[in-house]
Amino acid sequence: MSAQARFSRTALLAISSILLLLYVLAPIAWLVSSSFQSEREIVSKPPHWLPQEPTIGNFAAIFTSHERSVTYETRRATDPASGGFVPSTAKNLLPSLRNSFIVACTVVVLNLLIGLPAGYAVAKIRFRGRQASIYAILATRVIPDIALVVPFFLFIRNLGLLDTLASLIVTYLAITVPFSVFILINYFESLPDELDKAARVDGCSRWQTMTKIFLPLVTPSIVAVILFAFLVSWNEFLLALMFTQTPQSQTLPIVIASFTSDFTISFSFINAAGVLAILPPVILALIFERYIVAGLTVGAVKG
Amino acid sequence: MARLGAVTRRSILKNATAGIAAASVLGEAGSALATDPLYLATWSAAVDQVKSHLAAFEAQTGIKVEYSNSPWAQFRETMVTKFIGNAPIDTVWVSDSWLPEWAEAGWISPVDQYKALTAYNSDVDQFCVESMTYNGKQYGITYYSDFMGFIYNGEILDKAGIKTAPQTWDEVVEQSKIIKAKGLSQWPMVLPLAQETWLIEFLASIVYSQGGRFTGDNGMALMQDGKNGAVTALRWVVDAVQKHTIVSPSCVETGELAAVKSFSSGQHAFVLLPKYRLRRINDPNQSQIAGNAKIALMPKSENGSHATVGWMRFYGMTPRAQADATRAANTVKLMEWFGGKAQGEYTFQRLLFNDLGAGFGVKSLFQDPEMRKLYSAYGDVDVIGQQQGLARKKDMITPWFGAWNDVNGSAWQQAVLGKVTPEQALKTSADKWNALKKQS
Amino acid sequence: MTANILSPLRVQPARRFGYDERSALLFVLPLAVVLFAVAAFPIAYSFYISLFNLRLTRPNRISFVWFDNYVNVLSDPQFWEAVQRTVTFSVMAVVTTTVLGLLIALLLNEDFPGRRILSALLLIPWAIPSVANGLMWKWIYDSSHGALNGALFQLGFINSYMVWLGDASRTLALIANAFVWKEVPLATILLLIGMKAIPAELYAAAKVDGANAMRCFLHVTLPALGPSFALVIVYETMMAIRHFDLFFLLTEGGPGDASHVIAWHIYVETFRSLSFGTGAAMAYILALATLGLSYVVIRILGRRL
Repeated sequence: MSAQARFSRTALLAISSILLLLYVLAPIAWLVSSSFQSEREIVSKPPHWLPQEPTIGNFAAIFTSHERSVTYETRRATDPASGGFVPSTAKNLLPSLRNSFIVACTVVVLNLLIGLPAGYAVAKIRFRGRQASIYAILATRVIPDIALVVPFFLFIRNLGLLDTLASLIVTYLAITVPFSVFILINYFESLPDELDKAARVDGCSRWQTMTKIFLPLVTPSIVAVILFAFLVSWNEFLLALMFTQTPQSQTLPIVIASFTSDFTISFSFINAAGVLAILPPVILALIFERYIVAGLTVGAVKG
Repeated sequence: MARLGAVTRRSILKNATAGIAAASVLGEAGSALATDPLYLATWSAAVDQVKSHLAAFEAQTGIKVEYSNSPWAQFRETMVTKFIGNAPIDTVWVSDSWLPEWAEAGWISPVDQYKALTAYNSDVDQFCVESMTYNGKQYGITYYSDFMGFIYNGEILDKAGIKTAPQTWDEVVEQSKIIKAKGLSQWPMVLPLAQETWLIEFLASIVYSQGGRFTGDNGMALMQDGKNGAVTALRWVVDAVQKHTIVSPSCVETGELAAVKSFSSGQHAFVLLPKYRLRRINDPNQSQIAGNAKIALMPKSENGSHATVGWMRFYGMTPRAQADATRAANTVKLMEWFGGKAQGEYTFQRLLFNDLGAGFGVKSLFQDPEMRKLYSAYGDVDVIGQQQGLARKKDMITPWFGAWNDVNGSAWQQAVLGKVTPEQALKTSADKWNALKKQS
Repeated sequence: MTANILSPLRVQPARRFGYDERSALLFVLPLAVVLFAVAAFPIAYSFYISLFNLRLTRPNRISFVWFDNYVNVLSDPQFWEAVQRTVTFSVMAVVTTTVLGLLIALLLNEDFPGRRILSALLLIPWAIPSVANGLMWKWIYDSSHGALNGALFQLGFINSYMVWLGDASRTLALIANAFVWKEVPLATILLLIGMKAIPAELYAAAKVDGANAMRCFLHVTLPALGPSFALVIVYETMMAIRHFDLFFLLTEGGPGDASHVIAWHIYVETFRSLSFGTGAAMAYILALATLGLSYVVIRILGRRL
């Protein structure tokens, strides 16, 4: 390649990279910047791109917002007139974090328990209806979530299970298991059949074959399933909106959504809550980034 | 054979649903121990005031109360989901708009049998008692009552050389144009037309003051009528936004709270807001135009009057609370503590008026010297009294109000945005009204 | 050759029912139970509900109405307007996502320092909750204090702050923008996988024939990406048609009816008007339409490859 071509290639790559960086990071950066601004500063026109008087007050409000006892004497303490306003549902943030975490972890475990045997079986065991079952698995995900909500809502309600974490866990299986199984099938498929035959010759049962021989080899796809199932459960909004009523079972997205239209809106607080909401999934995604692609590509993980 | 089958199917479903519902309610009531707290659900207004009053209640009676609140802007939607989800609620704030719907659906129950609550009827405005009554039964005790006020910024009017506040909607337009021409305000009038709980009350105030109605005496839709309906009112709004440009096109995104903030920053000359907001707009700690906000009578149109819309909100009681005698008694105590007297005094009403300027429906409080003093610091008591007398109850309060309200609000917004003509918008709204009426 | 998500699954002929099949059944049983409970059951129950005039505001007046609900829904002009808006939104979203995904994949396909970091950072929009995405963009689009207004104002493109979400002509585009931002990473990854699977020999052959970068792109890359495009388009269309979260957080179907798409229509009918019968009918129609659409698209694109 000539020096000129090399230069224009470099320039093109550099400009494109910067544009991509801006596209991906600018909104997030603004979210973070807003979360460190006080309510007074955040309403400036034009906006302060970097906080001139950064404050961690918004985050402090999240973590210290608990049920304070209010008496006739102290009732004006958080008047908007006296500044320092925090939405009344702020105290639900940390419990909702806990709920989200419990739901997500349980869904992940169940996904693996259901998906691994099924993935192994469909990939390795020849049985009738195999191809059909693969398509059937995928087909279930074509149905929109809103079409699931209507029957599920009535059914769960009649069982008296509304507003429980169990209802969320069960419905989240509906939206995570198909894709998890699909990822696992793909990955199992890519492993040579000889392993299977060798294990059988050694006298292993199907179960032992799966656990002793294959499991260690499919780790990248297991990580992909964990990541995918966790993220979907953590981020899910519509089903949680419908099935949870009180803070005892509300997950993080629901509580965060409730801030936007509280009687007195506090923009800076909402941004801080948003930052809190994106931290766990983003950290997870960045740590396990290579497994995402590996889960979709079953070849060797290259660079 | 088919008919029999249909009846069987329907009755199975009905009985199953009713059976399960009954079982869950009774099951709950059966196991409702004295230690099970009462559940109070409100919207997110006066939260700390409620909490402080609750603390006093718990100290006085030893009854634990579980208090939850949700945003007013979508309160009906939130509560409806809770009701059909069988969420635990014993007493709840209700707007007069939703009374028929919630009563018919069985989400709130009549309270006529609780003399402790109905005893207060003699001390509240007749308007309040009527608004809490449906099909001859009373469904609660008053929370607060108010009306839509026409508020103007006296300072801007002075600067524009305008001597008196506008008396008619035409004058509103003229004065706004003068103010705009003098560069005193880009959008002289603020109209909060966002799709939220407040919207119907904003629309009703404009419609009534222009001599219109939403429904006729026979209960059928009248809003589409060119003379007696809402057409002239909607046309005024559409012209204000599009022709005269005195109202910003972002009005469809502006909610009541945003309007309060915007007006308090001194950017506008006229606004429609619930009267109690006057207090906040004249508070130096919360507003930049403190002292300059004044209330005037609602402008009228040729065929109209200075009428406005009035509303009231009340404490409702759920079937769940009434299922068990102890729970019912405790809930009545709680409702009386808030809506009636607490230890011999109208404590909560005073608290609300003192802190937020919220109107009360209690007649005797009007005579209270302390209250009268507070009132006069807040706004022109005479005008307020006069306007209150001209406040009309909403004429679209029916069991299908909730379902119709979204469509109506949407239609008005469409017209304001210029997507449809006012006639078309109101026809859509009227059609939906009549369809829902037929179905019910 | 590395297999990927697009490779046809190898199917072996089935053997006689024997030990293998028994253990296969056992292994697949939990999955079958889950799929039945959470897929087959809701479909059946939803259909059942849709045959009744079930309104939760009138719990004592439920009647069997055969297919009346379906007739009412399909003859309601509001329904078809919602469909139209959904189509508009989906086309905007899918086209933008695919094009952007392609451009970014082209970039990340090259080797240059910092590529790994860029790829990793690209995952951030994909990972964040849709709620956070909605709130973030709502704040950016805010008409009084938003960053979009601020940036355009400072750069001199506008003279005064504009209303964005409240402008009916822009609403769908703005929501689509927020949607695309979150969907682009996945589309990019899928296209990148497809690109990496293109054998180097094809490019070498093209170069020998004297092709420059643009011709390589048009005659080698694009055709070879056929299956990848198919997957991205089908997947993103499915996602766009059913999308609810942003419509709930940003505009609630407004202003007026500007963003009243089919998912929102079903939500309002079911959970605000509390008409579960018609809501179930709508949801069922949507589900059937989505299934039909995906089948048709896959067949068409599959035949092209």
